[in-house]
Amino acid sequence: MPKILVVDDEEPIRLLYKEELTDEGYEVVSIASGQGLVERIEQEGPDLVILDIKLADADGLALLQEIRNRYYDLPVILCSAYEVFKRDVKAIAADAYVVKSSDLTPLKKAIRRALEGKSGERGKG
Amino acid sequence: MALRFSTCCVKNKAMASYEENPSQITQADVVVGIPSYNEATTIAYPTTQAGLGLLQYFGDKTAVIINCDNNSSDGTKEAFLQTPTEVPKIYLSTPPGVRGKGNNLMNLFAKVDALGAQACIIVDADLKSITPRWVRSLGEPLFMDFGFVAPLYVRHKYDGTITNNIAYPLLRSLYGRRVRQPIGGDFGLSGELVRIYLEREFWNEEIAQFGIDIWMTTQAIAHGIPICQAYLGRPKIHRPKDPGADLGPMFSQVMGTIFGMMASCEPCWRSVKWSKPTAVFGFGLGEIEQPPPVEVNADGLYRRFSEGITQFRGVWQRVLAPEVFAKLIEAAEIERAYFDFPSQLWAHILFDYAMGYHTLDGERETLLRSLIPLYFGKVYSFVLRTERMSLQEAEEYIEEQCMVFEETRPYLDERWGSTGDADA
Repeated sequence: MPKILVVDDEEPIRLLYKEELTDEGYEVVSIASGQGLVERIEQEGPDLVILDIKLADADGLALLQEIRNRYYDLPVILCSAYEVFKRDVKAIAADAYVVKSSDLTPLKKAIRRALEGKSGERGKG
Repeated sequence: MALRFSTCCVKNKAMASYEENPSQITQADVVVGIPSYNEATTIAYPTTQAGLGLLQYFGDKTAVIINCDNNSSDGTKEAFLQTPTEVPKIYLSTPPGVRGKGNNLMNLFAKVDALGAQACIIVDADLKSITPRWVRSLGEPLFMDFGFVAPLYVRHKYDGTITNNIAYPLLRSLYGRRVRQPIGGDFGLSGELVRIYLEREFWNEEIAQFGIDIWMTTQAIAHGIPICQAYLGRPKIHRPKDPGADLGPMFSQVMGTIFGMMASCEPCWRSVKWSKPTAVFGFGLGEIEQPPPVEVNADGLYRRFSEGITQFRGVWQRVLAPEVFAKLIEAAEIERAYFDFPSQLWAHILFDYAMGYHTLDGERETLLRSLIPLYFGKVYSFVLRTERMSLQEAEEYIEEQCMVFEETRPYLDERWGSTGDADA
């Protein structure tokens, strides 16, 4: 069962994702803070991370860079209520960018694709 | 001053090269290579910047700048060697009559290997916007376990139309890596990757010319080399090019290389379903600048597309699947002001051409020529769709086009599979 780590400071979003993605057959772990995220990834060993951009205590795009420096190949999906951050060049290091919506179809599609993506590269996490 | 003719032996091929090594350098940790042909008026600038970058960012390492040239007749060698730098320089050349960027880089790679270098940075000889930071951004990841560094620069939406409409979407949908500038011309390579290149798995005359950039990128992916993109901030400013006017032989060389490598790299791309992002190095280094405008002759693009309908209709009919050909003719009949070349049609066309390249072995030259007007049609449509868009909006449009290519991949898989051994 693929494990997904959800990083979002809005509790309703965390609950919604947990319920919907558990129904899809994923194991879901949620956290509200971006502090110590890399260490948390180390502990949890997720197969994929869903990362909010506007966290109360951290910048999701900066966190994405931290993740990439350590976990070169870990799928990360950026989620935001704002489409505008998609145009930030830092967002290209994410596997996908999904605008938050009550319809989780685009998110579920992005998760499936990211988990199906194959990389044969050596090293770098 | 050391002058010598030497022969560098690489797999299945030996290329004589001329060398001037005034400082008699026999070892270097880092090499900056500058390929050239008749670049006497421009080569001093990237040489100077490379020298400053090596001193500033790799001062604790031994370094050399190498100009790998095609025996230029305009004084490129003198312009290079006379450029004042603290870092020593070496001049290499192919023999008289041997041209091609790929041949230049093979000479460079042999020298990099002989010097025992850990890192090789390649920059174009006509670059006007390179700074010392570029040397850092392209070189530093090579000392952080990355083996291939591709450039990531701000480009005008009409600069790099082969990249935007062909190389990037095809590479991404085939090999599953999002390398935004796979034929950017400025790269960083580890010593290990240079040795892989010297083995020359799959090599031909197109790669020896301008096919070399996409060959290097594809080989790095196919060999599982860790890849990153160096964010260079500044736009790539070199000789301006109108996408309709300056296509030249580069188009056929790049396309021939992409299609040709699909056979040798089949096990790699056949296992790919969706693409993955590529790490980016160097955010926050330097200021972001806007690229200069690129003039595009939209009338010329449409005219050459229209002429192709008459000239290559028969070839298109043979290469394209009947339903794809029908869609193409339908698009061509749309009034010019509303002309559109849908991304899915473009993906189908390129995938059909990839198939055609394998199955119509004796007609590859005609096949590649017949693709040029279609490419002009696609670029014309791109210009119409994006003329009011900002750079970022155009970038989003390119990303959406890439997703269409990825979603259309099963079409290629099905066609390729249905031929039995398509690469035989």
